[in-house]
Amino acid sequence: MSSTTAPSGLARARKGLAPGGSGGGARNRKSKLSAQTSRTFFWLLLPSVILLVLIHGYPLFQAGVQATHDGNLIQTGDFVGIENFQQVLASPAFWKAAQFTLLFTIVGVFGSWAVGLGLALLLRTKIPAGGTFKVLLLLPWVVPIVVSSTAWNWLVATPDSLIPSIFRNLGLGTPLFLADPTLAAVTVMIFKVWVSFPFMMMMTSAALASVDSTVYEAANMDGASRFQQFTQITLPLIARSTYISWILMTIFCVNDFPTIYLLTGGGPVDATTSLVVLAYRTVFQDFATGPGVAIAFLMTITLVIVSVILYRQIRKSSVE
Amino acid sequence: MSAVLHAHPESGPALGVANTGKARRVLSDAGMRGRWWRFALILAITAIVLIPIMVTVILALTPAPNSTTTGLTLENITGVFSKTLAGVWLQNSLITTLSTVVVSVAVAAPAGYVLSRGRSKAVSGYSLLLFVMQSLPIITSVVPLFILFAAMGLVDNLMGLTIIYVGSTMTVATWMMAAYFDSIPISLEEASWIDGCSVFGSFTKVVLRNSLPGVLSTAIFAFLLAWNDYLVAIVFLRSNEIFTLPMGVQSFFQQNLTDWSGVMALAVIMMLPPIIVFAALNKYFSVGGIGGSLAGR
Repeated sequence: MSSTTAPSGLARARKGLAPGGSGGGARNRKSKLSAQTSRTFFWLLLPSVILLVLIHGYPLFQAGVQATHDGNLIQTGDFVGIENFQQVLASPAFWKAAQFTLLFTIVGVFGSWAVGLGLALLLRTKIPAGGTFKVLLLLPWVVPIVVSSTAWNWLVATPDSLIPSIFRNLGLGTPLFLADPTLAAVTVMIFKVWVSFPFMMMMTSAALASVDSTVYEAANMDGASRFQQFTQITLPLIARSTYISWILMTIFCVNDFPTIYLLTGGGPVDATTSLVVLAYRTVFQDFATGPGVAIAFLMTITLVIVSVILYRQIRKSSVE
Repeated sequence: MSAVLHAHPESGPALGVANTGKARRVLSDAGMRGRWWRFALILAITAIVLIPIMVTVILALTPAPNSTTTGLTLENITGVFSKTLAGVWLQNSLITTLSTVVVSVAVAAPAGYVLSRGRSKAVSGYSLLLFVMQSLPIITSVVPLFILFAAMGLVDNLMGLTIIYVGSTMTVATWMMAAYFDSIPISLEEASWIDGCSVFGSFTKVVLRNSLPGVLSTAIFAFLLAWNDYLVAIVFLRSNEIFTLPMGVQSFFQQNLTDWSGVMALAVIMMLPPIIVFAALNKYFSVGGIGGSLAGR
């Protein structure tokens, strides 16, 4: 404050000018900045919060109301407590749909992962025009489901479609891909894998790209076989990304509607009715809003619990 | 390749230079053979995988059974525009999708910035909330929203559709933006604060200006989601002239005899925009960003 010698004044000036320095002036600016920061953050977040409340929060609350009330799409009826849930949980259709959803999800997640991983490994090696194949193989994921399901329908739907005809000409009988309950379920799952594998391929490719190639050189020196390298180096190194891709794909599969509905409509005889398809049909075709929303609500509760647990797991694994 | 390298350990160092040259030639021959073998394999896989898409294109360009034209033709495509409301459906799809992209990025970018830079409990709580919300089935919110929107006159209305699309894209879009902002060093902003820039000013002038790849990646994601949606459209759209393309394509199946040439022509029209967007902007799109944003927070 009093007379400062030239060197210390310079030092202070330097401190003050240094970005993020700890001089008195800088500290002052910092606290002003942090008050300003919280205010700005609030405004930046506000539109997102409003939308979240309007599109997710309010409907979720209302869904809770509808699930516990009688009524239809036009008006909410009397309060019936957990009657809708009891009705849903007692119906064989619900458990059948739950079973199909589970199977569909398991096949969808691991099927598309296996195909995606295989292709990602293949595309990582030197292949002429490899980049072109990488883009072409993304098409099933980029093309709208409405379009691809139309093509699949044309290929397999009737006994005279292309693929059943090929089977017939090969003397393998005429498989009814969408009319036989078991075969229809298999077809829907293959369709789901076809739609989803590019996503897994992209996730895996990104993870593989970040693996340091010198690790393999060292393994080569030690005489590790290709298979050993894969199971003991590649898989552990991409484990976290794999884990995340499984979680995302599980959510995609459980919530999937168009893949199933557009190919089979949930049939034949409900063989491919998943929980989402069942909820949709209960509300918009049987006009039983209460039970329909109750089905969706049961899924919601399950998914909230599962996703909170998974979110914690991801965060924990990323801290380690 | 490694097998070749280890095939002659007994040849030892004593044999020296000549042998190394031979080994290298063997290696590159095997390498070349392996390359072409893998090329054939991936070619076969790609061909099989793309059958449904090729079928769509071929049928769209093949003259309809009752047509007199031979060879490939564009008459199915011109026909679908003159005989159905395809032009209107295309326009409706473009309007909803592009509005969704713009609004969704405009909402997600600032929120993503807060998620990326904020370190408070509230911010990480909001991040968890977004994750939970995006994992819920849309069908749960569709019914209450249908009732709400019916009262507001937003059913059978493109604006209503857009609002729901923005709502359902914003969760993942916010993470994608946050993940991208994480990769921008905070020292850039600090420098601009020193220069007297406000927090908001440094966000728009410094951070956003350097975030084109992140914005494009998020925009592609929102585009694909809105363009491809079927569930929301089937619930909220009622009249022919408000239909978006997915509903238009599906309307062909309500007739007794499906006009395959027509539906495939419309299908080709519908799949072109996402393919064009993806082909043009592919290098910006990293699906890894979705996962990375999850792991990073």
